[in-house]
Amino acid sequence: MQKKDAVIQALKAALPVMVGYVGIGIPCGIVEHQIGMNAFMAFVMSMTFYSGAGQFMIPNMWLASTPLASIIASVSFVNTRQLLYSAAFSPYFEKVAKRLTFLFSATVTDESFGVNMAKYQEGNWSAGRATLVNLFSMTSWGVSNALGVLVGSALSIPTAIAAFAMTSIFICLLMGQNASIENIFVAAVAFIAVCVFKVIGLTGPAILLGALCGVGAGLVLMAVKKQ
Amino acid sequence: MTMTEFLIVWLTCLATMLICRCVPIFILKGRDLPETLRNALNLIPPAAFAALVANDLFSPQMFASGIWPGIIPIIAALIVVVVAKTTKSLIWCAITGVVAYALLSLI
Repeated sequence: MQKKDAVIQALKAALPVMVGYVGIGIPCGIVEHQIGMNAFMAFVMSMTFYSGAGQFMIPNMWLASTPLASIIASVSFVNTRQLLYSAAFSPYFEKVAKRLTFLFSATVTDESFGVNMAKYQEGNWSAGRATLVNLFSMTSWGVSNALGVLVGSALSIPTAIAAFAMTSIFICLLMGQNASIENIFVAAVAFIAVCVFKVIGLTGPAILLGALCGVGAGLVLMAVKKQ
Repeated sequence: MTMTEFLIVWLTCLATMLICRCVPIFILKGRDLPETLRNALNLIPPAAFAALVANDLFSPQMFASGIWPGIIPIIAALIVVVVAKTTKSLIWCAITGVVAYALLSLI
């Protein structure tokens, strides 16, 4: 029974992300179809590489006749923010077996990072449940991408509106953070830093760099308060 | 895109992605970390969420097609902030956000 409970808890936690992924996975499949990917290719890419930002970038850059090396470099640059998520989860995986740690960490996205991190902060969350959240979300993403390829452009989903589901999820997760002085300062610095990095043209790594500025500023504040 | 090109893009992007996703957790897990690093890890969630929100709401071209299209996501975001504070529910935030955005786009 306990196992079943864990699955249900994970499914409940993953549901908002799964629904959101249908909304952006189908449009993503539609652009993947435009560059000649079939449903199987889209599914395999979604179930392994599994990156919303990356999978939108690849077809868009390809359609703009960007050289392969530039596509790969840009996509990889954008995904460097995963380094932070991976580091942030490490305290919770101290006693978790290597295989499960690999399966979990290989399937983290912005959204599942957020959902699982919020659950871990609340307490009473496990590596098994966290991994299930990732796998449920990934399956939704994979199926939606394949579906998008199959329907082609027969269906039109306004991507900007659908993508706002994700923005809303991030806002909710941000608001759910403990409102300590440090956290508010960290969030404010990270927010402003992302805007600055985008203005000066560092759009690709803006999330990683902005978040690092926030963390750095928070550490400085903590050090100052200690004195 | 030919099959070969697809395989090159897929496998190289997958490789760099797996390095970013898996290396830090394996390096850091189970280690006795200095206090500063532990504090830094705890600050990642608020920093990352704020960075993700800023990245979605802000772009240098946001007012390129007029003030209103650029302000729509900001107004919708403020509505979501209120819903987040009152409900603390991801799904309600997502629904309200999308509906607010869609309705504001109609104006």
